[in-house]
Formats: sequence, structure tokens, C-alpha cells
Amino acid sequence: MVATTSQTVVVAGGSLAGHTVVAELARRGFAGDVVWVRGPEGTGPYSRPALSKELIQGKVTRDDIRLPAPEAYGLRLRVVDHAVCARLDPDDDRVLVTSAPGARGEPSDGDWIPFDALFVCTGTRARLPEAFAGLPNVHCLRTLADAERIRERLPGRPRTVVVGAGLVGSEIAASLRSCGLPVELVVQGRLPMDTVFGDDLGQFCLDRHHAHGVTTRLLTTVTGLSAAGPDGPVVLTFDDGGQTSADLVVLGLGAVTACEWLRGSGLDLSDGLGCDEALRTARPNVFAAGDVANWRHPVFGRRMRVEHWSNASAQARHAVESWWAGQEGREPPAFAEVPYFWSDQYGLKYQMVGHARGHDEVSVERTGADGHPFVTYFREGRVVAAAGVNAPRAVMRMKARIQSEGTTTQGAYAG
Amino acid sequence: MKVTVDRTLCDGNGVCMGIAPDVFDVDDDLTLHIADEIPDDPAIQAQVRQSITSCPVLALSLEE
Ligand code: SF4
Repeated sequence: MVATTSQTVVVAGGSLAGHTVVAELARRGFAGDVVWVRGPEGTGPYSRPALSKELIQGKVTRDDIRLPAPEAYGLRLRVVDHAVCARLDPDDDRVLVTSAPGARGEPSDGDWIPFDALFVCTGTRARLPEAFAGLPNVHCLRTLADAERIRERLPGRPRTVVVGAGLVGSEIAASLRSCGLPVELVVQGRLPMDTVFGDDLGQFCLDRHHAHGVTTRLLTTVTGLSAAGPDGPVVLTFDDGGQTSADLVVLGLGAVTACEWLRGSGLDLSDGLGCDEALRTARPNVFAAGDVANWRHPVFGRRMRVEHWSNASAQARHAVESWWAGQEGREPPAFAEVPYFWSDQYGLKYQMVGHARGHDEVSVERTGADGHPFVTYFREGRVVAAAGVNAPRAVMRMKARIQSEGTTTQGAYAG
Repeated sequence: MKVTVDRTLCDGNGVCMGIAPDVFDVDDDLTLHIADEIPDDPAIQAQVRQSITSCPVLALSLEE
């Protein structure tokens, strides 16, 4: 590598992807300067999957889920907390770093920091309709602070409504129910997690919620929220004219990418930050990794963003490799990792590999003593994804298969 | 190279297995099994290191 000690790398984003970029630079012995702009939270990076699982249930605390401290990286590293990248200069290789909105201390105009490479790992934030913002007893669950605020409420056993039944909403409902709270789950679609898993696992998931005493409203959208003061209940109104009240409302309405700061930089922001197969943006020394990165996946032949743990760390390593390869005059490889995620609900582990969007056929088998559904998803005759419950070996076998050939039309689970 | 797992932390989510399937295996009871011998193959050893840093509950550690 032709790296010199005068090079500067800026890493934007303080979660897993940013953390992994920094760790990967350290592992490679990068000798220049690293400026790590970690965003508004000030907590340091932590394990996000634990928030809606172990943390809100009180099984772990923030100290248990902290990722290793930056001192351990052995880099020339400057960590900037309570600060954000606010602008990327369209003409020069420099970013404007300002204090985060709401941060304490003197407001300043910020500093322009020149870079040799910029890694954009600013991820996503919880989707929060403006009309629902700032209400007492209404929470999103995206950050450690969100999760801790919800957990603090649990001893009072509040009647809880979880709005949204995607992966996160469904998991939150299960976690809170497992803590003994009365929980109602508002499902926008026909079934929980159906946009992720389709009907068979969606139905299975719904049945589990009912078996554990969660009540559900299907095909329902919240149209209004109002709070009767800090200690009063929250009244929810629905599109079918129905109403209910709750002591605690948790919104699981999905996530939006946090890349508006790149507006005017000339980069493609049509859905997240657009990059090529090697995670390079239209600017040769600007890379993306994690939830924000929209790239063309060579295995599936389509563009996607992936908002899961394993993807963030794998992409971060890959983005560093892309930069490194370019410096050495090599053509960087495509990022071809097959997406993987898991969800914990009522002691069951849901796992999925691949990319099921646009699938046109499924095959459903039964696995294990309990006959849990195992679903293989096909598009144009080709396996594109697989999902199961407490069936990690079968799921992981499919990962290799999707990655390597992905052309079989056979059922997937072989015992 | 030897890897150990803290079983009080590991929840069997299989992230490590996805990265280094020759070394990590989670069974259908969600118990992690680690290969006794980690192959002398640098590619697999790199996967093992990635698994350790990618474990979402920091349950894995390396004894060189
Ligand atoms: S990644 Fe960590 S928690 Fe997951 S199975 Fe492996 S050791 Fe266990």
C-alpha cells in the first residue's frame, strides 16, 4: 500500500459499520490519521440487536453490549462525539463537522476536515411521523437511550401498544410480553413480518403472539396519537375508526436513511447512498457501508440496502478493502455477501438468509419435533432466500447454496 | 489458534457460523459447537477472527 502517514481518513457514523471501518484500518496497520465522527449519541458503539431483545427485558445493561473501546485500536485516531458530518463539499475532498443538534456547549460553525478517503456509515434512524414526535409515553426503539427509556417503564407494568409488526415491532411485542406486560400489536398488513417472511412464517408468528396472550389488530393503521399529559394515557385512533388507550406506546414503523447531509454533494441519494458493486460512490474516494449503502448485489442482480447486523460489519471491512485495493492499483472485488438476520421471539429463533423481495414461489417444509415452518423462496425458478425457526443448520446450508449457485428448484431442508 | 465461547452470553444466533461455517456450528437446540482443530488455512483463520469481532454479544475470544 502506498499509504503515507500524511493521509487522513474520515469515518462518518458511530455504530457498527463505522466501528468496523476503524477496527479494519487498525488491523491493516494504517499509518495515517483517522477522524471518527460518531454522531449525536455519545455512548460509543454498542450491539444494536440486543436492544429489542436482551436489553429491554433487563437481561443485560449498556456495559454488557458496548463494543471494544477505540483505545484498543492502536491508530492515530481522533474520536469526535456529539458531532455529525453536516456537509460534503461538492468540489473538494472535505467534510464539515459540526456539533450535533441539541448537543451541549457553544454552538459553532463547525470545522472543515480535508480527507483522502471518506467512509459514510451514518445508517438509519427510526421513522417517526412528525405528528407523533415529542409525545410523552410514546417511544421509538432505535438507540440505546430509547431502549433504556422503555425498560425504565417496565416495573409499572404499563398497558402497551406496539405499532408496526415488522421485524423490530414483532420482536419488541414479544420481548415486552415476555416481561409480563399486557401488549397489543397493531399490524399494518395482514400478518406480522409478512413483508419480510411472507404468509407461512407470518401466520406462524401471529399464532405465537396469540398463544402468548398478545392481542392483535390486523390491517390497521394508526391515524392519530394524543397524550393526556406526562402521566396520562395515550389515546390511539385507527383508520377503521377504532380507538384504544395505552400507558406506553412503542412505534416500530421502520427506519429512514440518515444521509440528508450529503445533499448537494453530487452523490446518488435516491435510496440511501448509491454505490457500485465494490461500495464506491460516484466519488472515487467516498465509500458507503451499513444500512445506508445501496449497492448492486452480484448474486441477486439487483440493487438493495440491507439493515442488518452482519451486513454492517461485512460491508465495512469490504469498503476498506475497496479503498485499499484502489490505492494499490488493484480492481476492488464486488461485495457479494448473502444477507443474514435473526430475530428472537418467545424463546424461538427466526433466521433468514438471502433476499426474498420479488420472490414468485415458495416451498414450505416442516422442521424439528415441533414442525416449525421452513420456507425456501424462489424467483424465476432460482433460490433467493430461506427462513426457518430454530433451524440454524438448514438456514446456513442455504446461505452457501444461494451464494454459490442459487439455481436449484429443489426443496431445501434435508433433515 | 484456539477459540473459546462464553456460554452464558452466546444465544446461538449463528452470526459466526455464517462467516466461518467450517469452524462454528449451531445445532437446532441453538447450542454452539466449535471445531476442535481450526484448520491451518489463512482464509479460515481470517474468517475466525472476523467471527470473533462480529459476534453481537461478544461471546467469542481467541487464545493464540
Ligand atoms: S455469533 Fe456469538 S452469539 Fe452468535 S452463535 Fe456465534 S458465538 Fe454465539
